Amino acid sequence: MDRIRTRLRAIFRPEGDQSLLRLQRRRKLVSALTQRVDLIKWSFFLVGYLWMLALPSQQLGRGIYIDENALQPGQVNTYWNWGDVAAADRYLEQLEGLRDANASSHLRASTLAAEFMKLGIPASTQNYRFSSSVGTVEGTNAYAIISSPRTSGTEAMVISASWVSRIDEANGALNLRGVSTVLALAGFLKKYSLWAKDIVFVVSDGHMDGMQAWLNAYHGRTQSNLEADELELTSGVIWTALNIDYPGHSFSHLGIFHEGINGRLPNQDLLNSLTWIARWTVPVIIYDHLETPRLQIPSWMPNSLRDEIRTYDYRSRNVLRHVKHQARGRGSGVHGLFHQFRIDAFTMFALPATGPHGFHALGHIIESTLRTTNNLLERLHASIFFYILTASEHFLKIGSYLPSAIMISVAMMFSGLKVWSDSAWVMSSDEKGSTWIQRRRPVLPVLVIMFSTHILGCSVFALTKTSWFINNLKTSSAIILALCGTLPLSALFVPKQNPHTVAPMSQLLKALNLCFASTVISITTVVNFSLAATLAILLGIPLTVSLSSSLLPLRLGQYGAYLSLALGWLSAQEEIRSALWDWQILGVWFAPFVCIVYTPLVLQAAIACLLPV
Amino acid sequence: MLRVTALRMAKSTTLTLPALAGCRIALALATDLYDTLKHNHQLASPLTSYLNLQEGVFLFKNGVNPYSGGVFRHSPILLSLFTTVIPTSRRLASILWTLSDIAGAWALVQLWRARQRAPQTSRDGLVAAAYLLNPYLFLPTLALSSSTFENTLTLLSLMFAAQGNASLALVSAAILLHLSLPSILLSAPLILLLSSSNGPLSQLASPRAFTPNDKKWIALLGEYVAYAVFLSVISTLVSGGLSWIPQTWGANITLPDLTPNVGVWWYFFTEMFDHFRPFFLMVFSVHLIIYVAPLCIKFQYDPLYAAFVLLGVLGTFKAYPTMADIGLFASMFAVFPELFPYLRHPIVTILLHLHAALLMPLFHHLWLSQGTANANFFYATTLVFACANGAALTDCIWAGLRIAIGAPEEGFSVVQE
Repeated sequence: MDRIRTRLRAIFRPEGDQSLLRLQRRRKLVSALTQRVDLIKWSFFLVGYLWMLALPSQQLGRGIYIDENALQPGQVNTYWNWGDVAAADRYLEQLEGLRDANASSHLRASTLAAEFMKLGIPASTQNYRFSSSVGTVEGTNAYAIISSPRTSGTEAMVISASWVSRIDEANGALNLRGVSTVLALAGFLKKYSLWAKDIVFVVSDGHMDGMQAWLNAYHGRTQSNLEADELELTSGVIWTALNIDYPGHSFSHLGIFHEGINGRLPNQDLLNSLTWIARWTVPVIIYDHLETPRLQIPSWMPNSLRDEIRTYDYRSRNVLRHVKHQARGRGSGVHGLFHQFRIDAFTMFALPATGPHGFHALGHIIESTLRTTNNLLERLHASIFFYILTASEHFLKIGSYLPSAIMISVAMMFSGLKVWSDSAWVMSSDEKGSTWIQRRRPVLPVLVIMFSTHILGCSVFALTKTSWFINNLKTSSAIILALCGTLPLSALFVPKQNPHTVAPMSQLLKALNLCFASTVISITTVVNFSLAATLAILLGIPLTVSLSSSLLPLRLGQYGAYLSLALGWLSAQEEIRSALWDWQILGVWFAPFVCIVYTPLVLQAAIACLLPV
Repeated sequence: MLRVTALRMAKSTTLTLPALAGCRIALALATDLYDTLKHNHQLASPLTSYLNLQEGVFLFKNGVNPYSGGVFRHSPILLSLFTTVIPTSRRLASILWTLSDIAGAWALVQLWRARQRAPQTSRDGLVAAAYLLNPYLFLPTLALSSSTFENTLTLLSLMFAAQGNASLALVSAAILLHLSLPSILLSAPLILLLSSSNGPLSQLASPRAFTPNDKKWIALLGEYVAYAVFLSVISTLVSGGLSWIPQTWGANITLPDLTPNVGVWWYFFTEMFDHFRPFFLMVFSVHLIIYVAPLCIKFQYDPLYAAFVLLGVLGTFKAYPTMADIGLFASMFAVFPELFPYLRHPIVTILLHLHAALLMPLFHHLWLSQGTANANFFYATTLVFACANGAALTDCIWAGLRIAIGAPEEGFSVVQE
């Protein structure tokens, strides 16, 4: 025992001057780390990017489960029957009549309200008008409220359908069957006394705009560019909302669309409930992605590998679609608007097909889902708001996707800190030999440069908001490009300083730029992972690899490359138009984020290339 | 280039403070951020929030004792000022708050000049900018948090002490004590500063023992206590009873309001079983006190520095801190530029602060507006914030002691035994 103790003592507390030993130990550790900092940095990058690639893999993540016990999905008998289907068909005929008559929004909404009232349900309409630099939108919403027979109506759930379906990026196909489902459901649900929450039916005009106007009015929020009637009927706090989108004449699968605006996701329990309820009747998928094999897998592959590849192919499509919806903050449908008011919502998309399902199956599933949300005793609250659905029955928890972007941001932080600490030292060689000497690192001018790029970003954003910008997109983008391209060129005229006493500004700017970009990425991960991951891909390695050189062509070349990375979005004109529409009408902060955060960050890297070395 | 700017700065230095002050007043007048910031828990605590002050003034004007409920926790001094002299118009209030900040910046510049023993320096403008452009300070001001007044009074009392004006320093300190109880701990370095022979001059590089002048410090302490007692009597008369004591001072010790803030107390006490409460309240309060003596002993040759470090400790560990408390600590760095070459990890501290400063409002929003996160998220970021402050504090203490050993030499290192 004593021998072991002395041996341990010799390892952990050797003889000699303890301070000296501690110092040596620390030196050894620090030099071991600093010598390998490049290795550490690149391995973080590698692991981060590989992790991103691995997100769709079967090996990550787990199967879905219901976390909230109160929900009890699929535990009830449903009563929706052929009679109700016939009612839905009759409503459909009426709506088709309206469509063929090319009825105005107002006529449509008042007809719908009249139909609700015929069922004995209080109903009303709401006119609205949005004005923005992209154009004005107006329309009329119709809505109706069934008061809860069991409670005082302090809570409510919403069933909604927008007049325009989301199919083909909402380019005008009508959601007639969705609307008739809502009408038929209104007549059906009214017959039952088991509702513990008010049920609100909303048929919103347009695709996104109608619901935005209705929700703003419902929650008493004013929006400067919106003129809307106040709601005549109101109810309690809305907890959950189902949005029905049924554009075809029959459907084969139900697709879940769940991304909200600004990257907010609904509580996963809600989606899981639908999957759980529908699984014996209608197959549930996410988005409109069918699991059809796209790849020809060679026959010599073992079966397990083949299966892995096939699921990877399917899930990677889902993950990419998720990133596409979430990163731009646009959300994937009307349900996304509910999220801003803390309402969990998703869209049930009836995937158009020649069969086999129709109103009958859809009604059953909606009835059962409503019964489930009707069971809620408090708002859905358990922390399963952070997830990526890779398939309808499989998802990634926060711990299995977040580290990928964080690792890249850590790698950027390491590179930034390395550049920062390197810039403090310079090798000075004279006749005696060469020694390392320390030099000053004036931060203030660098901070001024960084700050002014963000100011430049703000002014670019202010410019894009004008209607002149939208109307002359080609000229105005050329002006922005010229403005942002020439202003930084003044960095070429910054006089060179003695590198033996003062660290070069280019190095300091690169260091602080990397540190700041890393901070932005790691902070964005918790609000909008897809945006953070996109940033990590766009900024991670590109900001790290810039070379400091005294050759003017190389410097200008790098500058050009960064400039095109910073302002490449100017070429995507449709994208700009819709991002600006989203910002002005729906308050999606993707457009300001790009102008005020992303572009300046890359511009800083561009300026760092121009500054004297 | 840099030298040219430095020269220009020297010329324009007299103009910098008025120019910045003008910008701040314009900002206060042009933007009305109060409505968006008034509920922000990082900028105003229950003890400093303007909403609560208005509530108290309303109750008082309607003949209800504002201290009988659990909402109003401002000092009777503020109550009497806002019910009589100062009208409670929002526009005027935002100007008043900004003026208070400007007075604070002026005091900081005076403090810097006193420490340099120079009537004017080239860094004056920088020092003023460090105070007036610090977001930790101007955001609480825009939110009309009364912590702005606490900061101004702190700086005024330090400035008067540095200029050797004992009575004014102690009066400011006594008023400050009435606005915020934890500031009582600052009285120790303040009295040390008043009774030290060197005053505010930087002595960090040449530490020597402090020769106490018993008569002097006892007299100063007596004066401080006298002012404080006098103000307490006035407060009692104004509020018509002693009920203000448990509501204002007592709140710092008994923590009745668990509204989230940037400090480390609230979450701990929401999670605690009630029968442990008194014990841990005692532990947390005593924890604040234990820093005073070691700091004052270690930095006895430079009491202004001890006060600076103590401000950082209070901003990190007191019961109801706001961003403004740590903002004062951050801005005061400008007065101690001799520290900068000896800081060991300034960039790490700044990056930690940057992360905390961005994450706190974000998690606050995720928790309370968007509803996707919970209290643990926000608490975790307040811990990051506390770590950032802790890193700044330990680095300050290290650098403050390290200066005395002289410039680093090749082949030697300094270790702490």
